[in-house]
Parts: sequence; structure tokens; C-alpha cells
Amino acid sequence: MQTTILLITLVLMAATLALILRAVLATDGPPPSDTAPKTRIRLLWTLVVFGVVLSVATLREWPHTSAGSDSMVVNITSGQWWWETDTTEIPLGQQVEFHVTSDDVNHGLGIYDPDMRLVVQVQAMPTYTNKVVHTFDQPGTYQILCMEFCGIAHHDMAYEFDVVEENS
Amino acid sequence: MSATDSNPLMAPTNPHAGIIKSTMLLGGVVFLLMMIFGLIMRAAQGGLLELDPTLFYLLLTAHGAGMVGSAALSGAAILWYFCARHLDLRGGIYLAFLGLFLLGVVLILGAIFVGQYGGAWTFLFPLPAISGGAWEAGAAVTFILGYLFIGVGFLLYYLELGLKISAKYRGLFGGLGWRYLFGGSDENLPPPTIVAASSVLVFNTIGIVFGAAVIAANIVNLLFPDFVVNPLFAKNATYFFGHVFINATIYMAVVAVYELLPDYTGRPWKTTKLFIGAWAAVVIFVQAVYFHHLLQDVNMPAWTLALGQIISYASGVPLIGVTVFSLAIYIKGSGLKWDLPISLLVMGTVGWGIGSIPAIIDGMLAVNKLMHNTQWVPGHFHIYLLLGEVAMAFGFSVWLVKGKSQEVMSGLDKLVFRAYMLGGAGFVLIFLWSGASSIPRRWAVHYEAWQLQSQLASAFALVVVLATTALVVRYALGLLRKA
Repeated sequence: MQTTILLITLVLMAATLALILRAVLATDGPPPSDTAPKTRIRLLWTLVVFGVVLSVATLREWPHTSAGSDSMVVNITSGQWWWETDTTEIPLGQQVEFHVTSDDVNHGLGIYDPDMRLVVQVQAMPTYTNKVVHTFDQPGTYQILCMEFCGIAHHDMAYEFDVVEENS
Repeated sequence: MSATDSNPLMAPTNPHAGIIKSTMLLGGVVFLLMMIFGLIMRAAQGGLLELDPTLFYLLLTAHGAGMVGSAALSGAAILWYFCARHLDLRGGIYLAFLGLFLLGVVLILGAIFVGQYGGAWTFLFPLPAISGGAWEAGAAVTFILGYLFIGVGFLLYYLELGLKISAKYRGLFGGLGWRYLFGGSDENLPPPTIVAASSVLVFNTIGIVFGAAVIAANIVNLLFPDFVVNPLFAKNATYFFGHVFINATIYMAVVAVYELLPDYTGRPWKTTKLFIGAWAAVVIFVQAVYFHHLLQDVNMPAWTLALGQIISYASGVPLIGVTVFSLAIYIKGSGLKWDLPISLLVMGTVGWGIGSIPAIIDGMLAVNKLMHNTQWVPGHFHIYLLLGEVAMAFGFSVWLVKGKSQEVMSGLDKLVFRAYMLGGAGFVLIFLWSGASSIPRRWAVHYEAWQLQSQLASAFALVVVLATTALVVRYALGLLRKA
């Protein structure tokens, strides 16, 4: 997923840059045609319409998934510089609702799969419990890393848990 | 001091030129120093040098505060310089602003390097008070007081701009151009610089007031730990202030493009209804968009998160559809002769526009879940700062010392420009790649699998540092030549 996001971003950046440079570097060519204002208005409307479509398409199904009735709850507490959970094993394919909080400052719960890809994250904040839902579709050892700067041992704030096939 | 309203080619006679030149030298030197800090951090992440994590986080804090501070200082200097073409500004106010700014800088540097404060520039409550033994409350209070002095300086600066704009353009509505936008006469229409100044002073004043509120809450908490504030409210205020303040730096600097590009193209940057409308949108968007920093705070009302995504996209529309498009139209077929100042100014505007794309993508909830607080974030903000605001600031600086005979780029100028642009592009693209590789931001120590990116980034950072050194030296020599 992240690679797709990167590629789409790079293509959009390159295409925009190419369009701008086409005009910016044509200093010795002909001046802009009389239709330039119309082109601009068309561009603005295109951007607006695209934005509406994109917003509807990406927000109609709310990206922060709600937990189903059969989801498993895992409580996670964080602090400088540790994580604590009420389980270290999660069944494969089981929807999990993480309840995340902090005992001291703001932390960020980032769950990394066995290939060290970030699969889901949510903030951990004192006095609040943040809920995030994820279904693990790959067995193995996952890591929880801190995603929010929390002091001098921020980078040491790592924790492991396993996603296991139920019959194992 | 008298206003200089007519001739745009007035660099030597601007009444504030002396102090502005000094400000830009200070800003340039601090930019360079902070880039060196950045290089050290990337090299440490790449395992190329040993750096104690405590020192890394001190450098991180200094780098963030120093870069934002230098961007704000250079942006403010540029805006003041060009506003003085249209307004009779009082030099004493600028000196007071600069004095308060420097006092703030001294306190911040003292807090970091003497007091060992390493809570990052966008510290989140209650981190300043809970350091895990790394620093004392006094250091945190000193750091925060530094922000307070800088904020007071900016309020003074904006008050002067607001008073003078109101007096000349019949109130702030006149300065914003909103009277004309909503059907009024085009008589006494403000130039683009004044529209920009009016807009920035409105939203940045509001941003600084919110920043002051969270700063005050932190100071009271540090002195009286029983006093606590809601951490989610504090986070909202911090990001509102931080987002607005860093954006204001670019919106202040872009007036250099409005004012200088016409000298090169013979085509004045005009105040049109579209231009005013775009700036009106900016005033609203730049304040409403900060929710996109809170997309992983699921206790926020859902509508705020949706708004964060939508406004994040919408913010790019006036930038790309108006500012960048206008830049292209004004330049195309103009016969412009490229020199170092205009090359840097154009690169700054284009970099700003291009940098908005990964920012907008990160502002989407579904993407943010995977990219938030990874190196994707410094990836996009380094594009519109390093290849945006900072490039504009150096473009303005080298224009200030431009000799009449220097009409085209020398071989050395071309080398410096290309090194800055290509080094900067390589540096920021590696950040994006690192973000897509799920490497978290603000980690002092990187796992071995992450070190290749940091090593490559260090090489590009070195190129940028060398190019920036050349720009600062060139500017300093230009100042000496002109003295």
C-alpha cells in the first residue's frame, strides 16, 4: 500500500512539475495565448470537482473502522518508555479493537508487521482511551513502535507480540 | 521615513534596507547552522557517526525551532521590506520586533544547550513537565518563554502593519481587498503585497494568540504541577499555532515574487478579484486545516477529521491554481533573463506548489493511518521549506546585493543553484521513500535496515550544506562590496 502511495505521489509531482516547467522555461517563446484565463478557470473547476469526488470516495466509508460485535479487545498502556498489553498473542484473522492510553505524556502506537511495514497506528494520550481496529491477516511477530516523540528514549519504545494461527 | 510607492527598482533607497540586510544575513547563517545540525542527525541515523541520543534530541529541538524561527524571521524581513514600498512603516517597531526575537532566540538556545531541554519544537503537553529526568522545569520554562518573546515581537510587528494598512486602505477590509471583492470600487485598490500582508497578519495573529494560550498553560503547569489542562485541547492549540505559524513564513516570503518578478518580466503582478479571492480562501483554509495533524486522535469529533482532509486538499487549489499558474503565465514568453535571485525565487514558488502534493496525500485519513509521523512528514514539509521558503529567502538576499552588471548567471551561480536544487530534491525524495518504508520520524537511532536511506540522505544533505555555504558567503561578500 505504501509503495502505491509513493508511486502515485511521485507521478502527480512529476506531472505537475512538467506542466509548470513547460511554461516557466518558455521565456523566449510566444506569450501566453488569450485563452490562458479560461484555461485557469477550467483548471480551478477541475481541481474543485476532482476534490469533491475524491472526498466522497475516500470518506463515504469512514477510514477509522468500527469494531464488530465479535471483535477481541486488547488494552494497551504506554509510558516513558514502555508498552504494556494484556496479551502477547492474537489469533490470525481475528478483528481486534485496541484500547490505547498513556500514563504520562503523548505517545503513538504504531503496529509493524513481520516485514516491518506499518499496518495501523493511533495516538496514545493521557486521560483518553483511543480505539483502533485492525484484523491481522499475516502470522508472525509484530512490533509496536512509538510514533510520537516522547523524550530521550523515544526510539527505545518497542514491544513485540505474535499473531498466531488458532490451531497452532 | 517616507513611503516609496512608485518605482519597484528601489533596493538601495528603501529606508529599511540596512536592517533588513542584516536580518537576512542572520537568517542565512542560522539556516546554514541548522542544516548542519540536520546533516549530523541524518548521518547519525545512517550509522555514519556516533551521536548520543540525548544530544540528537537536543539537535532535533534546535533544528526545528531554529528552522522555523529563521523562516519566520526571513519571511518577516521580506514582508517588511516590500510593505515599506507602500506604507510609511516605523523602523523602531521593526527594531523592537528584532530585539524581542533575538531575546527569544537566546532563551531557546540557552534552554537547549545549557538546560538540556529536548522536547522538540512542537512540544505536546505535558512533555515539557515530564522529561524522564532529561531536563529540569526551569529549562522548559526558559524555552517556552523564548517562544513567548518571539510571539510578542510578532504581535507588535503585525500591529504596526495593521495600523498602517488600515490608515491607508480604509480599514483592514480595504487592505484585504474584500471591499472590492464584494462589489466595491477598485479605487485605492491594495497591491498584492498589501493583500498578502493583511491576510497574514489576520491569521498569524490569531495563531499566535492560541500559541500564547497553550504556552501560558504549560508555564503554569511547570510551576504548579497540580494545574493541568486537557491534553487534547492543548494539542489542538499547539497544532493550530504551529501550522498557522509555519505557513505564515511562506506566505510572507512569497511577496518577494510579487514584487521582484515584474522587474524581470515587465509584467506587473496584478490585484484581481481572483487574486483577492484566493487570499481570502487562504485566510480561512490555513486556520481550518490544522485538524489534519490530528487524524490519529480518534477522540476528536469525526467531522473535524473529515474537515481536516477536505481543507487540506482545498488549500492546494489557490496555491496551484492561482499562485503557481500565475507565475507560469507571467513568465511564459516574457523574455526573462535568468539570474540567481529570480531562479531561486521561482524555484521557491514551484517547490512550494509541488510540496503541497505529498502533504495533501498525507492529509487523507486512509493514507495518514500509514504515513503519519513517518519520515513522509518531514518529506513534504522539507519540500515547501527547503525548496520553498528558504529558496525564496536566499533569492531575496542575493537580489539585495545584486550588482547592476550581474544580469545573467555566472558559472559559479549556476553550479550553486543546481547543487542546491538537486541536492535538495534528492534529500526530500529520500524522506518520502523513507516514509513509504515506514521509517518513523524523530528517532535518534535507526535499525540497520533503515540506514541506507539515511546514508544517501546524508550525501544529498552535504551537497545542500555546501551550496548554502556558497550562498551565505556570496551574500556576505555582496554586503561588504556594497558597504
